[in-house]
Amino acid sequence: MTGDVLQGFLQAIQPSSLAATAIGSLLGIVVGMIPGMTISSGIIIILPLTFVLDPNISIALLLGLYVGGMLGGSFSAILLNIPGTPSAAATALDGHPLVARGEAGRALGIAVLASFAGGLFSALCLFLIAPKLADIALGFRAPDLFSLVFLGLTIICSFAARSWIKGLMSAVIGLAIVSIGQDPVMGTARFAFDNPSLLSGIHFLTALIGLFAIPQLVENLGVGKSVAGAPAPAIRFRNLLPAMPDLRRIRLPIGIGSVIGTFLGILPGAGGPIAAFISYDYTKKTVQEPAEFGKGAVEGIAAPESANNAVTGGALIPMMTLGIPGDPVTAILIGALLVHGLAPGPLLFIERADFAYGIIFSFFWANIFNLIIALAGLRLLVKVVAAPRAILMPAIAILCVVGSYALRNSLFDVYVMFCFGLLGLAMKWLDIPVVPLLLALVLGRQLEENLRIALTGSQGDISVFFTSPFSALFLSVSVVSVVWSITSARRARLKTPAS
Amino acid sequence: MARRNVLAGLVLLAISIGYGLTTAALPDRSLPNTPGPAFFPWLITIGLLVLSVALVTRGLIDARAATDEAPGYRVPTRGWLALGSFILYLVMLPYLGFVLASVPFFAVLMWLYGERNKMIVAVASIVIPVVIFYLFTEGFQILLPRGPRP
Repeated sequence: MTGDVLQGFLQAIQPSSLAATAIGSLLGIVVGMIPGMTISSGIIIILPLTFVLDPNISIALLLGLYVGGMLGGSFSAILLNIPGTPSAAATALDGHPLVARGEAGRALGIAVLASFAGGLFSALCLFLIAPKLADIALGFRAPDLFSLVFLGLTIICSFAARSWIKGLMSAVIGLAIVSIGQDPVMGTARFAFDNPSLLSGIHFLTALIGLFAIPQLVENLGVGKSVAGAPAPAIRFRNLLPAMPDLRRIRLPIGIGSVIGTFLGILPGAGGPIAAFISYDYTKKTVQEPAEFGKGAVEGIAAPESANNAVTGGALIPMMTLGIPGDPVTAILIGALLVHGLAPGPLLFIERADFAYGIIFSFFWANIFNLIIALAGLRLLVKVVAAPRAILMPAIAILCVVGSYALRNSLFDVYVMFCFGLLGLAMKWLDIPVVPLLLALVLGRQLEENLRIALTGSQGDISVFFTSPFSALFLSVSVVSVVWSITSARRARLKTPAS
Repeated sequence: MARRNVLAGLVLLAISIGYGLTTAALPDRSLPNTPGPAFFPWLITIGLLVLSVALVTRGLIDARAATDEAPGYRVPTRGWLALGSFILYLVMLPYLGFVLASVPFFAVLMWLYGERNKMIVAVASIVIPVVIFYLFTEGFQILLPRGPRP
């Protein structure tokens, strides 16, 4: 194992990997800062590149973008009161009031430091937990794997949907789309309608590009020519590095945010926004002057910032060890690995342990580069918020076509991508969440394969899912998750008229 | 949203029936007591049917109680124009090739996004697609559609 760790470390410090991590981090910060752009948009821009680059360089680039995007989203939240990413919404509550008081540098410096600390903590957890979890997961049999994937889907639905019916509907539509092509056990053609392009199924990266990019392109047409609708704000940076009294104040909030963020990151579907708001709320309850929250409390920046960056490392744990994505970005990471013939899951730590540790170290470096780029280039980076949308968005539209075409050199995939874009718009119109559909596309094949293998092994006896301790545990948690989702939705509905 | 939910539920109900009928036509190639290729699609059909009915019911209840009055998402007019030009772009792509099809598409999108400076539109809509084309074809060996050749 020590040899694999060393190999992974050497792989991550290769000049090409380091450069990819730094470029990814810079691109992530830029993309995250631009309101209306998401981390997924940034990934769509670089996705075609990842098909031709070495897997370790591709992953380093994507990890840099993932980590950088989280921080970039907070910059626009603090400076413009417009969260660049949903995870940054909690940061705006106290970050923007500080900017209004003329303390932009202080707010941004605390955000950068808290993000770095949260990211580093989650990197450490990733390094310590992931191999152990992979060891446990190696003992999973088909019934356990089915129940695990099922759990992943139910947790995602409960978190992603305001209405559990729509969340589940989104996931089931995703499963229906996955069933197109050859079935995973016997290779029988299903729903292909004699179309050879449909026989190999629909690639989920094609679907992802359409689902995320097209609605975003359309949505951005409702806003003005420049991204923020205004030039970059004039910001005075007295000093970016937090002063000692501030450092003392943010120690505990960073600790709270890091732990909550990492833990919630491990749960599929929980994601950055939930972690940021829970950390914010919990920190508010623990500090001596909670009344200052919402008016520019440094603790109110540090807690959500450390949490949303800690989520990234947490989300990589189930992705790498179980092959379960926690959010769309980790779903894309799975896709990028699969394109290179590397399947995330417990076997990754056995067959390509050096590569697995390489991912962990690249994630560590992404956090380091994030800190360096943010502190060194902040004065230039803030100008990005005034980037011309009229050039960015058409460029993204063309890159959507390039990305979906490059996957299999097929125009059919480009048309499929556009159809998914229309589906994404229809789902937006109907207020149906897209994330469960996307994750069903990622997990659907595994779900069916393990279900059928388990039932074939047991001669159709479904008790096999309840007699295995792991499977029974996963199914119990799934039931709790669904029941919790239904009751909390009902409680929220009952509360609304009263408030 | 209530009306939209009813409409969506009905459309999904029709889709689930179509999906179920196609599933019924799948070949049965399984051993006794083991699930075949149609097993999982049948589960999906049941899920789609149940959830479609639930969505219609929810929509009808909300409509009757008039509890759901929040205005839903609407595609802006320029959004429809952008989607239309995207469709035209995709239709022309195999005939004109990447560069020739992308230049007018890029220009139209720039105009829709509010850029009115003709020089900027002309330069950006030519330079960016050309740069992307050469970057991917020459730099990364990704063969994009080249269109007609003399």
